[in-house]
This record gives sequence, structure tokens and C-alpha cells, in this order.
Amino acid sequence: MRTKALILSDIRFQFRYGFYSLYAVFTLLYIGLLFVLPDAWRNDAAAIMIFTDPAAMGLFFMGAIVLFEKNERVLDSIAVSPVGAWEYVLSKLVSIGLISALVALLIGLGAGVIRAPLTFLVSVFLCSCLFSAMGLIVACKIKTLNQFIVATVPLELLTVVPAILWMFWWKADVLVLHPGVSMLMACSGRGAQPLALLSLLAWTALLYFLAVKTVKKMLLSVGGIKL
Amino acid sequence: MITVKDLVFSYTEKPFIETMNFSVRDGEIFGFLGPSGAGKSTLQKLLTGLLPRYGGSVTVDGTEAKRAGKEFYQNIGVDFEFPSLYEKLTGRENLRFFASLYRRHRDIDALLKAIGLHMDADKKVSEYSKGMKSRLNFIKALLHSPKLLFLDEPTNGLDPSNARVMKDMILQEKAEGKTVILTTHNMYDATELCDHVSFIVDGAIAALDTPKALMTKKRAVQLTYTFESPDGGLEERSVPLTQTGGDATLRQLIGDGKLASIHSAEPTLNDVFVEITGRRLQ
Repeated sequence: MRTKALILSDIRFQFRYGFYSLYAVFTLLYIGLLFVLPDAWRNDAAAIMIFTDPAAMGLFFMGAIVLFEKNERVLDSIAVSPVGAWEYVLSKLVSIGLISALVALLIGLGAGVIRAPLTFLVSVFLCSCLFSAMGLIVACKIKTLNQFIVATVPLELLTVVPAILWMFWWKADVLVLHPGVSMLMACSGRGAQPLALLSLLAWTALLYFLAVKTVKKMLLSVGGIKL
Repeated sequence: MITVKDLVFSYTEKPFIETMNFSVRDGEIFGFLGPSGAGKSTLQKLLTGLLPRYGGSVTVDGTEAKRAGKEFYQNIGVDFEFPSLYEKLTGRENLRFFASLYRRHRDIDALLKAIGLHMDADKKVSEYSKGMKSRLNFIKALLHSPKLLFLDEPTNGLDPSNARVMKDMILQEKAEGKTVILTTHNMYDATELCDHVSFIVDGAIAALDTPKALMTKKRAVQLTYTFESPDGGLEERSVPLTQTGGDATLRQLIGDGKLASIHSAEPTLNDVFVEITGRRLQ
């Protein structure tokens, strides 16, 4: 019940801060762009677009979301409430995951590139949770948006570059163990599918637990100590 | 409700709170009174489980504060010194959200009305004045009807009429059997509201008693009188109320009917604080 309330509140918060309006515009732009591209490119372009934007929106926006909460001192009240760190993280990941999945679905349907809708939605949702968990871990440790941007660039490069390399040039099977590659495999429906989803699930679970640990420390730091 | 035994705590290598002991009974209003930086907010954080690395024992409602879990937080409400609210949400939306985090909660409209925010409940918090945010923050702490309420400078920045409403609500909480920990540097609030006050200076308790006992024990009530001096001006003298019989001038002036004015004055909590600690509260 409390987790549901947290998720609904996060969705409302994201709506108020214009995430939904922003992504409504982006979705139309992406669909338009996909129709400008040659047919042969559309599948790969759609997969890369979804992987690098709607699925990764948590990595871009988690800094702003957590900084708002830090600046408005809402975390003080969360720290002395029955909300556990796991619920806080779950709420952030699920609320962003839902927009990611919705936007990706619209882009995929608009461009006509979705073959297995359920697998596609699950893949995008997990990708989003993984990126959001990364963003949340960084957001807990920073004080300004500039710090967040600087700290997330290496993470983006480490995640996205190997995935792009896999898609176009380097098809080594072992790359399915890389989080970025497993994400792009799952979103594009290419490569060893069950293994990609399994790898993605394992990375998401690992990052979720790391995010919970980091949030616990952040909530305790409301007391004024660094642990 | 609260028992603190041999509490030791520090943010750094240097000790901040050293061997502190006190207890708070169920249903009382207990005040931490002291200047900024004295350790009042640190004590509140220790009691609310936000600073788990302490020595000694801090038992709150039967739970050791460093092991505070979800159940512990169902029963405490904290009004922080600074508003802790979503600025983009309305006052009512903020209360609805925080209420949803607890098993039980009070009627939101009744609370808004009691604190005088019912007409502004649907405005975004970013449009609220400082005082309105403080009042909303206060009722947010009461939302889930906690057994133990921590209030950190609750009347800070409020005009006298809104401060009065808030103080009446605090007294109402006490009447309902709630325990209240009031952290303040406002001696008037402490005198009026608290059953016991503890003077906190440099992380230590300098004195702990009822406000009345502190004000009467430490410094005698003074009688001040004025009369016309030989040079034609007004002269003022003070004498402890218990020693008026020994003041020959006063006896003479009363006998001659030449007193210009006479009044007694109890020392304020601030006077007593200065006397005990050598510091000023405000």
C-alpha cells in the first residue's frame, strides 16, 4: 500500500515537473525521424533511439529528481517515516520505468518495429530500471546538477559504447554479460534473447541492491554524518 | 517515554555530547532550551534514530534509538526546523502524500482548518509564505497522530496570532496524552508550554527542572520601587522580595506615603539561563 502510494506520488511529481510533456514531444520527434530514415535502417535506429533515450532517462533525470528532494528537505521527512530504502528505490525505478516503457512502446509501434510486444516492454522496463539505479547511486552522492552530469558521462560511455560496437561490428557472444550489450540485445530483439534478458535481469537486481545500500547511507546522512 | 543513560556522541574526533542523562515521562512537554549550536538539534536527531553511532543508551518508547525500525516511525512525528515539503505540490497534496506513508492518519481537512490553512490548501507550497510553510510542516508532523512529537523551533517566524494557534494545538496534543519534545531558543514558548526544561550548552545539560522551579530557585523575585530623590529626580531601588522587611528606606517611604511606584518582577527563564550558563538565549 505504502509502496503504491510512493510510486503514484513519484509519477505525480514527474508529471508536475513536465517529464510527460517533454517526452510527448520527444516521442513525436523520434517517430518523425524514424520515418525520414531509409526502411533498412529503421529497426536498428529505433533500437538505438529507445536504448539511448527513453530507456536511459533515469540516468539523465535522477540527478534532478533527487536534488529537488534534497533541496526541498523532503528526505528529512522520509528518513523519519516508515518508508524503507528499498521502497524508496523501487518507487523511483518503477515510476521512471513506466514512462520509459510507454514512450518506447509508442516509438516502437509508430515505427512499426515491435515483433514481440511483451518481451519488448519487459526489456525496456528493465533497461530503464538499470539506468535509473545507476543514476540514483550517483545522485545520492552529489550536491549539484553539474556534479551529476560530470559523474554520469563515464557511466554512459561505459554502458553505451560497447553496446553500439556489438550492434555494428563486434559480435562476440561473451558481450551478453556486459550490461549495455544485454540491454541493447533485449531491446532490439537480436542476439541470444533468453541469455540477454537473464543478464539484464541480473544486472538490474545487482544495481537495485547497490542503490538501496546507497540510499540507506543517504537517508542516514540526513542526521549530519557521513557513513 | 524516553530514557537517556550515559549518552556520548560526536560528529568528529572531538567529543560533542559527553555522558548525558535524562528522562521524559509519558504525556509531558519537555523542552530543550539553548543557544544555536548548543546541541539541541543533535539531541533530537539522536532521539529520532538519525544518528545511530552513539555511546550509552537512548531508549524511546521502549526501543533503542539506534535500532529504530518501521514500527518506531509509525509512532513518532517530527516537525523539522526548516520546511520539508514538495514545493510543486499543493498543501493538501503534500499532506495526502505523507499521510499515505502511515498506517493511520487524521482528517486532513480538520487539521488544515485548525491551523488556518484551509483556504490555501489547494495552492502550491511554492506560493506559500514562510509562516504558512511552517504551519503546514507542523500539521504534517501531527498527521498520523504520533505518540511522541518532536518539534524543532515550531513557532519560529510566525506572527503572534498564528503562534498562539500553534501553541494551543501543542497543548491539545498534550491533553490527549501525547509526549512532546520541544527544541527551542524561545524562552517564552518554553515557559508557557513545558512541564520540564533542560538547558543545553556545549552538548551538556546545565540545568533541568520545571520552568517555575528554575525561575524561583535560582534567583529571588525582586521588588523594585521608585521615589523622589533629594535632587528632585526619580531614584529606583530593588530589594529581594524576601528581604523587604529589612529595607529601612522602603519602610520609611511607605510610612511617609512618598513612594512613586512599586512592583515585583519574577526573573524570566532567560535571566536564569544567563545566570546558570553565562550565555544568552536570544
